[in-house]
Amino acid sequence: MEHYIQTELGKKCLQELLQVWLDFDRNLSKVPIVKRLETGRLSQQDYCHLLLNMRQQVIEGSRWISRSASSFDRNHSDIRSSVIHHAHEEHRDYLMLEKDYQAAGGELADIQTAERNVGSEALHGYLMYSASKPNPVALIGAMWIIEGLGNKMSIKWAKLIKEHLQPSINITRFLEYHGKNDEDHLKELYQLIDRVASSKDNVASIVKTARVVGRLYCLQLEEVDNYE
Amino acid sequence: MNVYINSTGRYLPGNPINNDEIEAVLGLINNKPSRLKNKILKSNGIKTRHYAINTEQQTVESNCNLAKKAALNCIENSFLPSRKIKLLSTATSQGDMVLPGFSSMLQAELDIPEVEINTSHGICSSSMMALKYAFANIKAELSDNALVVASELASRLFKHSRYEAIEDDSIDFNAEFLRWMLSDGAGALLLENTPRSNTTSLKIEWIKSFSHADVYDTCMSLGKSKNDEIKTWQDYPTYAEAEKSGALLLRQDVRLLDNIVAVGVNGFLKLISTGDVNVDKIDHVLCHFSSHYFKGKIFEMLAQAGTFIPEEKWYTNLYERGNTGCASLFIMLDEFIKTHTLNSGDTILCMVPESGRFNCAYMLLTVEK
Repeated sequence: MEHYIQTELGKKCLQELLQVWLDFDRNLSKVPIVKRLETGRLSQQDYCHLLLNMRQQVIEGSRWISRSASSFDRNHSDIRSSVIHHAHEEHRDYLMLEKDYQAAGGELADIQTAERNVGSEALHGYLMYSASKPNPVALIGAMWIIEGLGNKMSIKWAKLIKEHLQPSINITRFLEYHGKNDEDHLKELYQLIDRVASSKDNVASIVKTARVVGRLYCLQLEEVDNYE
Repeated sequence: MNVYINSTGRYLPGNPINNDEIEAVLGLINNKPSRLKNKILKSNGIKTRHYAINTEQQTVESNCNLAKKAALNCIENSFLPSRKIKLLSTATSQGDMVLPGFSSMLQAELDIPEVEINTSHGICSSSMMALKYAFANIKAELSDNALVVASELASRLFKHSRYEAIEDDSIDFNAEFLRWMLSDGAGALLLENTPRSNTTSLKIEWIKSFSHADVYDTCMSLGKSKNDEIKTWQDYPTYAEAEKSGALLLRQDVRLLDNIVAVGVNGFLKLISTGDVNVDKIDHVLCHFSSHYFKGKIFEMLAQAGTFIPEEKWYTNLYERGNTGCASLFIMLDEFIKTHTLNSGDTILCMVPESGRFNCAYMLLTVEK
C-alpha cells in the first residue's frame, strides 16, 4: 500500500477525521428519514422529498468550493488548483439529481422552485462564511465529510432504495454517481490533508469544521420531515 | 489498588471436530446437507471446534460442567485454594437453567462457601462485563480476589430438530448463519490484588466498553420469529407455538453485521484520542474477530493514519478452537500466555466486538514478571 500521508500531523489529522466521520455516520443513522431508508421503510414520496431537500444545497455546493478556491493566496496556489478541479467536477451534479427527482415522479418546477430547508440554510451559510476566510484550509474537513457521504450514498443508500422501491427506471443516478472515481478522490484528499495539516492549529480547525459540517448535514436531513 | 490476572484456564469438550464432521454432530436438517455451510465456513475461516453434544445430539456435558472444568483448570494453575475465593463473576449467553443465575449453579459445582456472586448476561462481550465487575470490585478494595468464568454451550441451539420444528419449514440464511459459526467451550481467569512472583501476572490497566444499541437494530438475537415485529417468545400462548414460529432460533441479521467494523474502529480511535491506547506501545493484540473483516477501506484508512497495528502482533486461536461466544477471549488469552514467551512490560490489547446490538469492549494488560 502506498502511503500518501507522510507527516505525523497529517496522520493525526486523518485519525481525528476518521473518528469524526464514524461519529457522524452513527448520528446519521438516527435521523428519522435515514433510519427509514436503512430499515426498508422509505416510501417513494419520502425519496422525492429527500432529493428535493438535498438539491437546494447541492446546487450551492460548487459555490462554496469555488469561493474557497479564490480565497487561497499565492502561497497556496497548489491547493487552489486542486479545489478548482473539485469544483469543476461537481458543479453540475444537481442536474442529475433533478432528473432522478422527475424519474421518481416529481415535477421539475417543484424541485427548482423549492426553498432551502432550515438545515440547508445553516449548512450553506456556514460553508460560504468559512470559504470567505483567507486561506480556508479548514474546509478540507468539510470536503472529508461530504466525500464520505457521497461514498455512503452510492454504496449503501442507492442499493437499498433500488431494493425496496424496485423502480422500473433508474431513479438513483445522483446517489450512485458519487461512488465513481472514489479511489482518486480519496487519494487527492489524503494529499491535501498532508499538505495542509502543517500545524496543530490547522489540524484543530480542520477537525472542528468536519464536526460542524457533519452536525449541520444531519440537521438538513432532519428537516426533510418538516418540509411542507 | 492494582488488579492482576494471576492464573488462567480453559476447557474445550470432546475431540476437535473438523468442517466435514459438523453435520454428523449437529444432524442433517430434514436429512439434507446444508447448501450454505461451505460458504459460511469459508468466510469465517474456522477449521476445527468442539461440541458438548454427541452425534445423537444428546448433551454429554452441561454448560455448568464446562464452566467448572475451566474454573478448576484455572484454580489448579494458581496459588489460591478455591475456598479462599471471595467473588465469583460469570458470563454465559445461555445457562443450563433459565433461572437462577449461572453463578449460583457454578458456585454449587465448585463448592466455594459464602462467595459473593455476579452473573453477566449477554452475548460475546458479557464476559468482559463479568470481568469488569470483578476488576472494579478489587480496584475498590471490596475484595482481594475474584474468579471470572465465561462458558458457552451453543450447540444445543443448532440441533437439526430445532430447525425441523419450524412450521413453514423454510430456514432462512440468517437463522442458519450461526450454526456454522458458534461452538462450545469455557475459559476462566483468576484476579488478585498483588502479582505473583513465580508466574506470569497480567496487570489490568483498564477495561472500557462502548455500546451502540441506541443507533443500531438488533443484529444477533434469540426470542423473535423473523416475521414478527413485536411478539417475543414468552408472548405466545405456549412455548411450543413460539418454537413453531421460529422465535427460538438464534439469528444473525447479516445485513447489519458490517456495522461492527465501524463500531470497533470508532472505539479504538476513541481510546487513542483519550491516550488509553498508544499504537506504538502495543506488543500483542487479541481480538475476538474473524480476520476477513480486516480488509476494506476503513483499514486502509487506519494504515494511512498510522494507527494500524501490524499483523504480526495479532494472535487468535479462533480457527482451531472455534468461536465460543463470550468464552472466546478467555480461551484465547489462556492459550496465548501458555504458548508464548512474554517479557515484563509487554502490553496486550484485547478487543471483543459484539454484534448482538453492537457493544464493543476493550482491555489493556501489562505483563509483570
